[in-house]
Amino acid sequence: MIEIIGVSKSYNRGAVKAVDNVNLTIRDGEIFGFLGPNGAGKTTLIKMITGILNADEGTIKINGKDIRKNPIDAKMQFGFVPDDPNIFARLTGLEYLNFMADMYMVPPENRLDLIQTLLKRFEMGAAAGDLIQSYSHGMKQKIVVIGALLHNPPVWILDEPMTGLDPRSSFDLKEMMREHADAGKTVFFSTHVLDVAEKVCDRLAIINKGRVILFGSMQEIREHLRENQSLENLFLELTENE
Amino acid sequence: MSRFLSLLKTLLINSFGISAIRAKARKNKLEYLKVLGLGAAIAAGVSPTLWLYSKILIDGYDLLAPLEQQGAILLLGIVMVSTMIFFFGIFYVINLFYFARDAQNLLALPLSGWQVLGARFSVVIAYEYLTELPFLLPPLLIFGIKSGASLTYWLYALIGFLLIPLLPLSLATIPTVVIMRFANLGRRKDLFKILGGLMVIALAIGYQFLFQKSGINATDPAFLQNLLTDQYGLVNLISRVFPSTKYLGMALISADKVAGLINLLIFAALSLLAVALAWLVGDKLYFKGLVGSSETAARRKMLTSSDYKRLGKGSPALLSYCMKEIRLLFRVPSYFMNCVLTNLLVPVILIIPFLLQSHNETEAMPWEDLIAQPEGQTILMVVIVGAVIFLAGSNAITATSLSREGKEFFISKYIPLSYQQQLLAKLLSGYIFGTIGAVLLLIGAIVLMPLDITLIGMILAVSLVAIGPITEAGLLIDIFRPKLDWDNEQKAVKQNLNVVFSILFSILLGGAVLYIVVRFIHSPTLAATFMLCCFGLAAVIMYYLLMTRGIEQYRKLEG
Ligand SMILES: Nc1ncnc2c1ncn2[C@@H]1O[C@H](COP(=O)(O)OP(=O)(O)OP(=O)(O)O)[C@@H](O)[C@H]1O
Ligand SMILES: [Mg+2]
Repeated sequence: MIEIIGVSKSYNRGAVKAVDNVNLTIRDGEIFGFLGPNGAGKTTLIKMITGILNADEGTIKINGKDIRKNPIDAKMQFGFVPDDPNIFARLTGLEYLNFMADMYMVPPENRLDLIQTLLKRFEMGAAAGDLIQSYSHGMKQKIVVIGALLHNPPVWILDEPMTGLDPRSSFDLKEMMREHADAGKTVFFSTHVLDVAEKVCDRLAIINKGRVILFGSMQEIREHLRENQSLENLFLELTENE
Repeated sequence: MSRFLSLLKTLLINSFGISAIRAKARKNKLEYLKVLGLGAAIAAGVSPTLWLYSKILIDGYDLLAPLEQQGAILLLGIVMVSTMIFFFGIFYVINLFYFARDAQNLLALPLSGWQVLGARFSVVIAYEYLTELPFLLPPLLIFGIKSGASLTYWLYALIGFLLIPLLPLSLATIPTVVIMRFANLGRRKDLFKILGGLMVIALAIGYQFLFQKSGINATDPAFLQNLLTDQYGLVNLISRVFPSTKYLGMALISADKVAGLINLLIFAALSLLAVALAWLVGDKLYFKGLVGSSETAARRKMLTSSDYKRLGKGSPALLSYCMKEIRLLFRVPSYFMNCVLTNLLVPVILIIPFLLQSHNETEAMPWEDLIAQPEGQTILMVVIVGAVIFLAGSNAITATSLSREGKEFFISKYIPLSYQQQLLAKLLSGYIFGTIGAVLLLIGAIVLMPLDITLIGMILAVSLVAIGPITEAGLLIDIFRPKLDWDNEQKAVKQNLNVVFSILFSILLGGAVLYIVVRFIHSPTLAATFMLCCFGLAAVIMYYLLMTRGIEQYRKLEG
C-alpha cells in the first residue's frame, strides 16, 4: 500500500510547481496507473515516493513506513524501475544484479535460482555476462526490471516501463504486473499510453500540471465518458492547454 | 572555416559551462558573485605558493644579474610551463579527444577530421592558458619590471604567452593520435584505450630523460665554468628540456635588438609548424581512431552454471558498494587515467630518475650522509609523508566520488543502504587507493636508500593515519558541492574544482604539520608521535563532521 498525503514539490525555489497537493492511496492487490502528458509531474511524484527527491510538503508512506522518517525500511518495501535505464554501463548484467541483490540483502540460498529464473523469463540469459553498455535500450530496461524484482518486493514502482520494450516483452511485463497484483501486492506505474492504462489498470489517476484531475476505477472513469467519447478524447479534453 | 569557428565557439561555451552559469545568473544575479568568490578562494589558497615562487625568482634575478644571466629566470618559467603543458596535454588529449562520451557525437556531423580535432585542440589551448597563468606571469613581470623593459618586451611577452602552449600540445597530440588510431582495433576497446594512453605517457617520460641526460656532466669544471661565464650558459642548459623554448627566451632577453625579432619569428614559425603538423596528422587519423571506439565486446554466450557459481554467496552491502566504486574506477577509462593511474604513476616517476642515476654512477647517493643522522631521518620522513598526503589529495577518489555518479546518483538515493554506510564505502575505496600509493612510495624509498625497519614502520604508520583526514575531507567537499550534471565522464574527474579543493586541503594540512616538524622537532620518534597525534586528531574531527554535517547534507541532495 502506498499512501500519498498532501504532497507538493516545486523546482527552482518555487518557480516551477511540479506536483501540487496530491492525495492518493494505492491499495494492496491492485495495479494503479498514473496517466498524464509530458511534464505533468509523474516522474517527480515517483521520485518523491522512492526517496530520490524530498517533498516540500506532505507525507508518503509505503506499507506504513514513512520514506522520510524511516527511509531504509521504506526502501526495502519497493522495487523501482526508473524511466531512464542507462545505468552502470560499465558493469555486466550479472554484476549489476548481484549488486542489487547485495543491496536488498537477498539471501544467498535462493539468489542464484532467482537470478537464473528471471533472466530466462526475460530471455536475457545470453547477455547477462556482457557489459550493460553493449545492450540495446530494451535489454537495459529488462535488466533493470529484473534488478527491481530480486527481493520480491511487496510494492512495485515503475516509471514508464513499457517504453522501448518489444511487444513480446511488453506483454510479459504486463502479465507479471498482473500476477504481482493478484498475489495481493501493489503495482504503481506511470505511462502516457492510454491503451496500456485502459487494459492493465484496476484504478488510475490522470494528472496534469502537478494536480490530480481525475481518479477512480476504470468503471468509474468510463462513466465520465459521454456518448461515443473515447478515453483518448477525454484525456485530450482534460489536459488541454488553456 | 565558418563551420570550424562555430564548432569551436560551441565547444568552448559547452566545456567552460558558460551557458549554465548564465542560465543561473538570469534567475539570480548572485550567481556571478559566487563564481567570483570561488575564484577568490582559489587565489587565496594558492597565494602563499605564488608568493614563495615570486620570491625565489626575485632572489634568482638578483643573484644572476651580476653574471648577466638574469634571463635564466624567464627560461625557467617557460620551460617549466612547456613541460607541464606537454604532460597535462597528453591527459587532456586522451580524455577530451577520445574518452569523452560526446567525442562520438560529432562523428555524425558533416565535418572533416582537422575541423573537429582543431576545434578540440583549441579548447585545450584555452585550458592551457589558464594553467600557464600562475607559472609564467611572475617571471615575465619580474624580469620586465626589474630590467625596466621596453614596450617591445611586453609585446613579445604577450605574443610568447599566446604561442607557448602550441608546440608542446602539438607534440602531445601527434603520438596520441597515431597510437589511438591503432588502439582502436580489436574488441577490448576500453582496455586498448588505456594501454594506448599508457604508451604515450611512457614515450613522453622516455623523451624527457633522453634530453635531460644528454651531454650534461656536472663534475666537468670546463662545463661549469662555461655555464657561469657564457652569457647564455644557463639559458642553454635549461632550454635543453624543450629546445624550442630557447628562441623565445632569447627573443625576450634581447627584445630591443634585431636578434630578438628574429628569434621570436623562429619561435612562432616552429610553433605554427607543429600545429599544422598535428592538425594534418589529425585530419588523416583522428576519425579512424574514433569511429566505433564505443563498440563494446559482447559475447552473448549463455552463462554456464559455473559462471553463476562464481557469484558466490553475495557480500555485505557496504563491501558490495565499495566494490562497485572500485570496478568503475578501473573500467571507465577517464576515471582510470585520472584517479587510479596518477596514484600509481607518480611514485614511479619520482623514483625513476634516481634509479637511472644510480646505475651509471658508483658514487654515493646525495642523501647517504643525511639519513645517517636523526635530523636527516626526520626530514626523510617528512618528505615521504608529504608525498603520500599530496598523492592522496590529488588522486581525488573521494573528492569526486559523488560527482562520478552523475545522473546515476539517484540510485544511491533509492537503494536501501543507509547514507552512513554509503559514505563509509566511499571512504574505504579512497583509503584503499591512498594506501596503495603510500606503499608504492615507501617501496621506492626502500629500494633507493638503506632504511632501518623502525624508520620504515614509523613512516608507514604516519602515512596510513595521514591518509585518513585527506580522504575524509575529499568526501566532505564532494558532498557539499557535487558535480552531478555532466555529459561526459571526464568532466567529473578532470574539470571538477573539488579536485583542486582536495589538493589545497592536503597542502594546507600537510604543510602546517610538516612545517612544525621540520622547524622544531629533530628526533624521528618524536616527529612520528607528533604527526600521528596531529593527523589522528584531524582524522577524528573530519570523521565527526562527515557523520553529522556530511550525512545531513547527503540526505538533502536530490537525484
Ligand atoms: N530537475 C528539474 N529541474 C527543474 N525542473 C524540473 C526538473 N525535473 C522536472 N522538472 C519540471 O517539473 C515538471 C514535471 O516534470 P516530470 O519529469 O515530473 O514530468 P513527467 O510527467 O514525468 O513527464 P514525462 O511524461 O515527459 O516523463 C516539468 O514542468 C519539468 O519541467
Ligand atoms: Mg517522466
